[in-house]
Amino acid sequence: MNRLRSTLTDPLVLATLSILVLLAAGEALSPGFARGDQIVRLLVVSAILGLVAAGQSLVVIGGREGIDLSVGASISLGAVLAGNVMAGQDGSIFLAVLVAGGATFLIGLINGLGVTMLRIPPLVMTLGMTGVVQGALIVISRGIPSGNAAPALMAFVNRPLVFGLPGILILWALVGVLMWVLLRRTRLGYAIYAIGSNERAAELTGLPVRAIRTLLYGLSGLFAGLTGVIVIGYTGNSFVSVGDQYVLPSVIAVVIGGISLAGGQGNYFGAMLGAIALTLLTSVLTTLQLEFWGRQLIFGAVLLMLMLLYGRAGRLRA
Amino acid sequence: MTLLLKAESITKRYGAVVALSDGGLELEQGEIHALLGANGCGKSTLCKIIAGTVAKNSGTLSILGRAVEIGGPREAEALGVALFYQELSLVPQLSVADNIFLGREQRSGAGFLDARALRRDTEQLIARFAEVAGAGFSADALVSDLSPDQRQIVEILKVLARKPRIIIFDEATAALDRNQVALFFAILRELKAEGVSSIFITHRMDEVFEITDRITVMRNGATVARFVTAETDRQAVVHAMVGDVTALAERPAARPRSDKPARLVLESVGNKRVQQVSLSLRPGEIVGLGGLQGQGQSSLLQGLFGAAPFTSGTIRLDGEQVRISRPSHAIGKGIAYVSGDRGRDAAFHGRSIFENIAAASFSKERPAMVWPGRLRERFTKAAATLSTKYAGLSAPIGSLSGGNQQKIFIARWLATQPSVLLLDDPTKGIDLGAKADFFALARRLADEGAAILFYSSEDAELLSLCDRILVFNSGAVAGELEGEALTAYNLTNAAYGRAA
Repeated sequence: MNRLRSTLTDPLVLATLSILVLLAAGEALSPGFARGDQIVRLLVVSAILGLVAAGQSLVVIGGREGIDLSVGASISLGAVLAGNVMAGQDGSIFLAVLVAGGATFLIGLINGLGVTMLRIPPLVMTLGMTGVVQGALIVISRGIPSGNAAPALMAFVNRPLVFGLPGILILWALVGVLMWVLLRRTRLGYAIYAIGSNERAAELTGLPVRAIRTLLYGLSGLFAGLTGVIVIGYTGNSFVSVGDQYVLPSVIAVVIGGISLAGGQGNYFGAMLGAIALTLLTSVLTTLQLEFWGRQLIFGAVLLMLMLLYGRAGRLRA
Repeated sequence: MTLLLKAESITKRYGAVVALSDGGLELEQGEIHALLGANGCGKSTLCKIIAGTVAKNSGTLSILGRAVEIGGPREAEALGVALFYQELSLVPQLSVADNIFLGREQRSGAGFLDARALRRDTEQLIARFAEVAGAGFSADALVSDLSPDQRQIVEILKVLARKPRIIIFDEATAALDRNQVALFFAILRELKAEGVSSIFITHRMDEVFEITDRITVMRNGATVARFVTAETDRQAVVHAMVGDVTALAERPAARPRSDKPARLVLESVGNKRVQQVSLSLRPGEIVGLGGLQGQGQSSLLQGLFGAAPFTSGTIRLDGEQVRISRPSHAIGKGIAYVSGDRGRDAAFHGRSIFENIAAASFSKERPAMVWPGRLRERFTKAAATLSTKYAGLSAPIGSLSGGNQQKIFIARWLATQPSVLLLDDPTKGIDLGAKADFFALARRLADEGAAILFYSSEDAELLSLCDRILVFNSGAVAGELEGEALTAYNLTNAAYGRAA
């Protein structure tokens, strides 16, 4: 009985089960929902969310109430910068990635410095940063959609590359492997869990807690910026609020995947499953012709329900 | 004289631990009464019971001959018992009057603050201290504008505003300098003249003989002796605190003093909590840090480890001057730090035993990549030296008992092969079996050439393990014991400050 309960509250099991249930529900509501090419399309959308969630995972695992609400603004910034640098030219893709990634990495580092050196709560720091970046974006672009994706980038995101899978899915799988290597096979990864689990103990074992946490926010910005590049590849052009819709989902995906908001727990594989489950949920809700507000409502409810569920499970374990 | 407070056969258990087995205290009206004893003798528990912050299991309390049950701090206050905390926080942005009555403001009929009554009461209080308070001390003065001495007076007024009959001063003079202590004593005498009784806990024996009328001594949770201060001397009091000296554990045969050059030398190091401490530590030596709790022993170890760095003095390792301003410096130089507060200072909660052991080794060796398979054998060996019982390296740390967890945190440092071990009350809250394993290990490590600084809040542990003991008082070394001088009597005597 106990084993059954602990298996059922294992986030990975829960995420996998919800994916299967949602697939079945989608197929029942609209036959063809679970067809191969449809699933590939869903995975592409999941991959975009999954890339943001990679940075979000790192920040949340790093602890001290870690959360990055500025990922939306960084995605928008990345998309606008990349779109303008590329201006539809394949030859400029590399430069676009560099500029978008560099700028958002820097913004993330500033978040990190605010959180570690000035001890601003992450929620406030990253929310404030969102305002700053969005304001700057509107000033720069005057609110008009600008920039064009290069054809090669659009193909990379939308067209099959190998085994009928678009390049973006290969990239996502690669990020998954890299995240595993980072967290489980490097000293830095062990340090991330350590500072997330007990900051004081981490300091007393010689870890540079502030530097590591600052880096995590930097990486979150970087992942968001790169996601912005993918987003413009997905949609073709960019506008200043394109990233907003990813903020809440990136947090929910992380929580579905079993990464504790208290820090020091969980892994990116769970967040990947979370991204897929959440994308499926969105898709099923769209099939039901639920409006944007309805989806937001359900997202919020899912997040709160998960907090309740895992909060209880955590207490039972302790 | 009238007997104001009488506490008789008070007991208090925390689970299986008996904190008080037979606590007693007789306090007369208008006296200053010292309550003395070694660490863990139960004096703080007894005071907390009298002040209503801890509930007793059995025993009787009576005030002016009438039995009372004190169910909480509010009830104690109503009976006229007040507890004075040194670090009682004042709010600097508020006035003296507001601070004194904070949380207990008088209300007018409509529920608003009765500012006039507040002012009147404050001025009455202040008038009593007009002579000692100095310039600029008034009801309306902001606390942020006051001198440290004046703030001290506000702290005391805050207690007096409750019109207590009994005030418990637990280490009230610990953070005070000489002038402040003199001022504090002047106030204490004033209170005495007004018929207020004080229970006075201190770690300075000369203060006991300067100010108190009578002394109650506690040992191992029981009240064992009562003295009239004027009719006794320091020696008799310390003997009462230590008890039957022959009952002490047998010390291992003294080992010949190592003639190797010192591994660690501290030259008048200091910071906020440590004053001018000098010591030298040879390979193979276990040097104890003794004294009452909180006299700078932990701060010395944390300073040396770089967690709360020294601001003055020099550190030499193997003859070479080194700078240690953060733990990673210390770890890089082969220094290890084991804290007794495992949950706060050591445990990576929810992480595996493997990760909990690995942390220090990674900091020292700085590998970029981690291959758990190659490290398992080494960590298993480190854990095995302490005969730790655990299911496997991937089990979560929380699956272990307290004693076994502490063994894992020691294994964490053994895996780095340290040459200097700093042990900060490492056996706190672990079972006897684990303690024995731990002592055997410390001895063996020393024999293998490690240099060990060992702070324990239990005198018996220090006496049975250490080659030498430095006794701390108020952040400084008050005495050094070695060889024949390593006795419980000398340890307690030195803990209460240098003999005048």
